[in-house]
Amino acid sequence: MHPLVEVKNVGLVYHEPHAETQALKNLNMTVNEGEFVAIIGPSGCGKTSLLSLLSGFIKPSEGEVLIRGKSIDETDASKSQIGYMLQHDHLLDWRTIEGNVLLGLQVKHMLTPETHEYALELLNRYGLYEFRNHYPRQLSGGMRQKAALIRTLAFSPCLLLLDEPFSSLDYLTRLKLGDEVYKIIKSEGKTAILVTHDIAEAISMANRIYVFTQRPASVRSEYNIELNKDNGALATRNLPGFKEYFDTLWKELDHEQTKNRAE
Amino acid sequence: MSKRKIALNEYSQEHLLYLESIKRKKLLISILRYALFIIFIALWEVLARFNIIDPFIFSSPSRVIQTTINLYNGGELFMHIGVTLAETVLGFLLGTLAGTSIAIILWWSETIQRVLDPYLVVLNALPKIALGPIIIVWIGAGMNSIIVMALLISLIVTIMTVLSGFMEENAQKQMLMKTLGASKWQIFSLVVLPASVPTIVSALKISVGMSWVGVIVGEYLVSKAGLGYLIVYGGQVFKLDLVMTSIAIISVLAALMYFGVSWLEKALINWRSHSKG
Repeated sequence: MHPLVEVKNVGLVYHEPHAETQALKNLNMTVNEGEFVAIIGPSGCGKTSLLSLLSGFIKPSEGEVLIRGKSIDETDASKSQIGYMLQHDHLLDWRTIEGNVLLGLQVKHMLTPETHEYALELLNRYGLYEFRNHYPRQLSGGMRQKAALIRTLAFSPCLLLLDEPFSSLDYLTRLKLGDEVYKIIKSEGKTAILVTHDIAEAISMANRIYVFTQRPASVRSEYNIELNKDNGALATRNLPGFKEYFDTLWKELDHEQTKNRAE
Repeated sequence: MSKRKIALNEYSQEHLLYLESIKRKKLLISILRYALFIIFIALWEVLARFNIIDPFIFSSPSRVIQTTINLYNGGELFMHIGVTLAETVLGFLLGTLAGTSIAIILWWSETIQRVLDPYLVVLNALPKIALGPIIIVWIGAGMNSIIVMALLISLIVTIMTVLSGFMEENAQKQMLMKTLGASKWQIFSLVVLPASVPTIVSALKISVGMSWVGVIVGEYLVSKAGLGYLIVYGGQVFKLDLVMTSIAIISVLAALMYFGVSWLEKALINWRSHSKG
């Protein structure tokens, strides 16, 4: 049985007219089915590049990225199994919430009465059903982001990539939505990779955390978060042990951030 | 979320006064708008009647009406209007269609866009009217030349406005579509085109005006009928009544076309939000 995601010795170089940037180098990581993994690292270290690799729109310069043991470019089908959630919801303002939620299905030519029904059921399950005929501008930031999550879940991806999905929200909404998204992902039994620069958010949601180095990024360290998350992400923040993790990770990141400056 | 609906009688006294002041301001503006028009017409008529301005040179509202009636009785009125209107509408539609199509091609291929960019800039700066004599020689003295004139004048502006609309349709939403695995065509039809509807409509508003310029200039250069022809003819035989009448008719028609486009704008935006694509 293969792990869901394997990243093996991956290197990534960006080419620009006046520069060549090594974004990732010797990156190794594994994500198993059902895990919630968070990636934290200094800003601009290449976390988003990793997600682009995983979703298959860029190819690694070295090494390989495998989904269930298969290279991403081998099967186009694997692409459709990956759901990507961006920093902003990017709901199309001329479509209703229902229309927006169906967008992914429509693009992938997967829109059938069954999948349509499933999308509506998701809206219902997570409290957006009565807003299905509203337009995005009529919804609050948190609700919009939740609609964006449902748009991603509607095509039943096996892996969710979350690229700082809460960073455009105000603090209170951010905490609440983080909690809610965590519960949704868990109850749908999805595997997720969260990229964030918010240490507390990472600890409260993930069962494993990778700390990345400065660019070119590789894994600096890996932590298993052994906190009981049955009561959701928000409750985790009050558990004993949360602060210890926070302090450890804070030091890790701080070292990484100051390392280059000292050199 | 949805604002709580409050019946009128639940508003505070202060809020009612505020609503009242908005209403009064609106009324005042409409009254002033009509008053300005009426005063202008009345002043023109009175000054001409009392020979303060020479009615032979300046004409007058009553003379304009009389000339319109004469044209109508002579059976010419609708012929001239018809010719000019047909030319303008055809030029406008062809210009918009060609302009939008070319903009789509330029959006599609960055290479073509970069190759053609300097040509567009120069063509945009070039006064298209300068091409008039060439067009007439090439296409022949007639309606076709005039339509091409109208098309050319609106074409470049349409291309540039529509293309800039397409391009600003932001990279972020296209990124979203890519994360969903969308093809270029899907990105265009599901995001770029519907998002550009307002820009396309504003391009239409500009090119309506442009087409009128093209048609009237075209008729100045070569024509045997149409409102532009009446203006040139009236000027040559010193019948300023005819010139003024034609200008008045053009103003009305141009305004009607503009309102037509505004109506289309509303309809399109409505359509955009009611179609699920």
